[in-house]
Amino acid sequence: MPLSEFIARRLLQLIPTLIFILIVVFVLVRLLPGDPTSAILGDRGTDADIDRINRQLGIDRSIPVQFWLFVKSVFTADLGNSIVLKRPVTELIVQRLPVTVALTALAALIALCLAVPLAFVAALRRDQLADNAIRGGFQIGLSMPVFYLGLILLTVFGAKLHWFPVGGYGETFLDRLYHLILPATTLALSLSAVLMRNLRAAIIGVVDAEYVSFARAKGLAPRLILIRHVLRNALISTVTLFGLSIGTLLGGAVITETVFAIPGAGRLMIDSIYGRDYPVVQGLTLALAVLVSITFLLTDLLQAWLDPRVAR
Amino acid sequence: MKLFSAAALSVALLLGSTVSSLAVERGGVMTYGRYADSLFLDPVLNDANVDIWILSNMYDTLLLPTDDGKGVQPGLASDYKLADDGLSVTLTLRDGIKFSDGSPITPDDVIFSLGRASTPDNGIWGFLISSIAGIESPDAKTVVIKLNRPDPAIIPALSVFNTAIMPKAAFEAAAGTTDTEKAEAFSAKPVGSGPFVLESWERGTLMKLVKNPHYWDMGEDGQPLPYLDGVTFEIIPDDATRILRLQSGELDGAEFIPFARVAELQAADGIAMELYPSTKVNYITFNVRPQIEGKDNPLSNAKVREALNYATNKEAIIQIVTQGVGTPMTSFMSAATPLQSGKAPLYPYDLDKAKALMAEAGFADGFSTSILALAGNQDDAGITTALQQMWAAVGVKLEIKQVDNATRTAQYRAGTFEMRTAAWTDDIADPSEITSYFAYSPTIDALHSGWKNEEADKLFEASQSETDAAKRAEQYARIQDIFNAEGPTLPLFETPYPVALSKKVQGFSQIPLGNNIFRAAWLEK
Amino acid sequence: MAAARVRLPRPLILGGAILGVSMILAIFPSAFAPYDPIAFDYGALSQAPSLAHPFGTDNFGRDVLSRIIHAYRIDMQIAIFATVFAFVFGTIVGAVVGYVGGRTEALFGRLVDAIITFPFLVLVIAIVSVLGPGLINMYIAVSVVGWVFYARIIAAEIKVQKRLDYADAGRAMGYTHLRIIFRHLLPNAITPAVVYWMTDMALAILLGSSLGYLGLGAQPPAAEWGVQIADGKNFMTTAWWISVFPGIFIILTGLGFSLLGDGLAEVMRARK
Repeated sequence: MPLSEFIARRLLQLIPTLIFILIVVFVLVRLLPGDPTSAILGDRGTDADIDRINRQLGIDRSIPVQFWLFVKSVFTADLGNSIVLKRPVTELIVQRLPVTVALTALAALIALCLAVPLAFVAALRRDQLADNAIRGGFQIGLSMPVFYLGLILLTVFGAKLHWFPVGGYGETFLDRLYHLILPATTLALSLSAVLMRNLRAAIIGVVDAEYVSFARAKGLAPRLILIRHVLRNALISTVTLFGLSIGTLLGGAVITETVFAIPGAGRLMIDSIYGRDYPVVQGLTLALAVLVSITFLLTDLLQAWLDPRVAR
Repeated sequence: MKLFSAAALSVALLLGSTVSSLAVERGGVMTYGRYADSLFLDPVLNDANVDIWILSNMYDTLLLPTDDGKGVQPGLASDYKLADDGLSVTLTLRDGIKFSDGSPITPDDVIFSLGRASTPDNGIWGFLISSIAGIESPDAKTVVIKLNRPDPAIIPALSVFNTAIMPKAAFEAAAGTTDTEKAEAFSAKPVGSGPFVLESWERGTLMKLVKNPHYWDMGEDGQPLPYLDGVTFEIIPDDATRILRLQSGELDGAEFIPFARVAELQAADGIAMELYPSTKVNYITFNVRPQIEGKDNPLSNAKVREALNYATNKEAIIQIVTQGVGTPMTSFMSAATPLQSGKAPLYPYDLDKAKALMAEAGFADGFSTSILALAGNQDDAGITTALQQMWAAVGVKLEIKQVDNATRTAQYRAGTFEMRTAAWTDDIADPSEITSYFAYSPTIDALHSGWKNEEADKLFEASQSETDAAKRAEQYARIQDIFNAEGPTLPLFETPYPVALSKKVQGFSQIPLGNNIFRAAWLEK
Repeated sequence: MAAARVRLPRPLILGGAILGVSMILAIFPSAFAPYDPIAFDYGALSQAPSLAHPFGTDNFGRDVLSRIIHAYRIDMQIAIFATVFAFVFGTIVGAVVGYVGGRTEALFGRLVDAIITFPFLVLVIAIVSVLGPGLINMYIAVSVVGWVFYARIIAAEIKVQKRLDYADAGRAMGYTHLRIIFRHLLPNAITPAVVYWMTDMALAILLGSSLGYLGLGAQPPAAEWGVQIADGKNFMTTAWWISVFPGIFIILTGLGFSLLGDGLAEVMRARK
């Protein structure tokens, strides 16, 4: 199957997935106790106030009616207005999502740069000092809660050494990149630990497998073996894991974003769930779903390239 | 007759301010770290403290709250006079006052703004000025507010955010058909009457205010206020990061410092740890209905509530939760609320009395109940964990349910909760607001508790049109006695507003009503 | 298959030892904890480590060491129950789907996409808000999503394995599909999933901590490491011991799981 057809088919498959997600999220947010108005007003509003404002917002209508209106609006590329922030949802997504994407992409890059070389060192020096040191170090990184690790990085590299700004989000592109380095590192550590462990195990598995011995027996140079056989085969499950983790990272950057005061989509999502801001939760879920799907598609393409047997 | 002369007051203010030894310095932008962003910066349609507490920097009111939060001083109006029959207020606008776009502030704008604020369908604050029957303007400088009943709270109400003056022409020119749509369009690019005006706003990150060049009030140096060129709000939800940013010099001030960090920052170099007096009270609300979802409710028995009050070691909670910063409550309303009549701390810890009361009420062996706490809130976790321990001594088994705000509010409004943690801050320098929510059952069933006391209801209704100050004070004293003795709450403690400032910052304050006042703030170079 | 005497790898022994001790502490915490983990002591608020309180006391005057020991019960539960259903179910589904391939695999792919693309925290917060806070609802929420990860890892491996010669040999010998999947392919394909599972258990404790931080995990007064760390967050500069010691135990337990994972992987490779 040619590549373009493969991609087209995958994109087509995306449609039922997105519809399923839309229905689930639509029902789920409305199952949550309370409504947006009482979430905002909290203790102050009288029952009459809250009912009146709900009526003004149109969220007193029946769920099927609301769903119909919502579906109609999705097809016109209008995701409605935020109930809490009074801005168009599309505008909020355009503001917030790129921030989280940049944070996640940078984190993924850092994680790969840390995990891949160190996994090789650890696997090839199995059970020696280097291996134990690398694994121990990653274990500590993996076991640190993000709000804890973030705070330590901020204190040391921000407040004490002044190498990086203490949280916040810059105004120009380079400035923003600079602001994102510490949070991306924080986010990257747990991912790189997971990747490193998986990759190390996979490399050991491949190195021990018969076909490498066979290649050696055939007299191929060790370096060539390493690259052609070991890396390729070891990367298969790691790429799967990497793709899967990106989705989690994207949705789970909330705490990092909170600690580092980064205005990303994760924070908006949490605030919107707590605020029962239905249109924002729906719109953001949809946008995240599209993004994650694209990541999966790329992962699959990468996997097919690494292991042509999979694509068949 | 109550006539306050602006001249006399400004002399007093001038005398007060010349005492300060430092000469003010102009210019600079003050960066202030907030824990959460504003939602909707419209004086009338907003509904949360994140809006209310900064709105007064963008929109001035006819009268302004005093620094102690208990009284008012002239604002856009230089004079105000309440008629002898208490049925009208006459205000004189200052000469030459302008909006931030340079257009003059006229009686038309006042009529528009107050009319909009008192329209029942607009927002939730209309009740504060429900006595307004109509507004007239006999000449180009005078506004007369007609009342449908004598209203002792009308003067302070004219200093509350919802009566702020907005430009009629600019508002009506905004896109949209309904008031809400126009407010949304207008607030994106507002024209204001306050010392600052919104320049840019990146939601969830950064809000920039710049100096309003047309602001009316004068500084100590005889030049127009404000001293600052602008104020920048940075949104930093994480407490530790907000403090770290202040310590590294990237912020000039940071709000909502956790009490656990207060002592440390008091000792820190270059930082002024301020504890501004507030009207904030922290308490537990009991559901006192005879039955909750078909089950008999021990909390409906006033003796049980009294017992729980005595079984609560409030001094210990103040130590644990506020690190000693909080103070015990002497009435359900804060000591900073006008007409608060409390003398001694309510229900000092007395376990024997608590046990005796439980036995008298028929619950010698205690009972099981639950409390709603706000998930992720460390103070709530501390308070409820402490109550759980303390009440075990009288046999009460307390289950803590951590839920989010919307879930809590839903249960609260439905009357299906048993207990909940709560806090309150006044918005007006008058006891009527807090009393109407807490003790006057028609508003929200006395904090949705189902509590009702005929005498308290009658007293409150009478006090709403009582023009004799002494009589009104008596009415409020009696309401407080009733509520404090058998009401549906457990008063915990009062807390100040903890704000950490760089030592460079002068003249900033947060008044007891919560408003952050930047109009006279300045930065030492 | 080597019939030789199996020498237990060192990581397996060390990891097993750490987790063995953990299990004992989780089952009999009261036998080891010097104090009542939930009793306040107003006379000893936020005290630094001393002989009486080796890890100090927290802001309620509770003994930090005793709380850490009692937290073993909850944290080991979180590690196991938040992952085991996902592991078992995900492995079975992944193995079958990877083996059968074709339309089943395509259908499975759609389901996986839908679950994984759904933002995880939305699901957890929504489930916990609808069902009420607490650990069991957290396990449900985590498992609903978690199994997919195992399934995808296993399916990808099985697809590779089933094209190797020995699978064809199995088919040629007339073995049933189930036998080929679970006796022949799975043992060769499961290593990455087991390694991931061990990591996942350590991650589950951390997730419990994040959710505890949001108030959605263990409810007070129960001691749980993550909640303990969150409790001590405001005291990091004045009473660091409230959150640092629980943090060390998270690391130690995580290390135990990782070592066990590596050890198991070695044993399985040796048996091939």
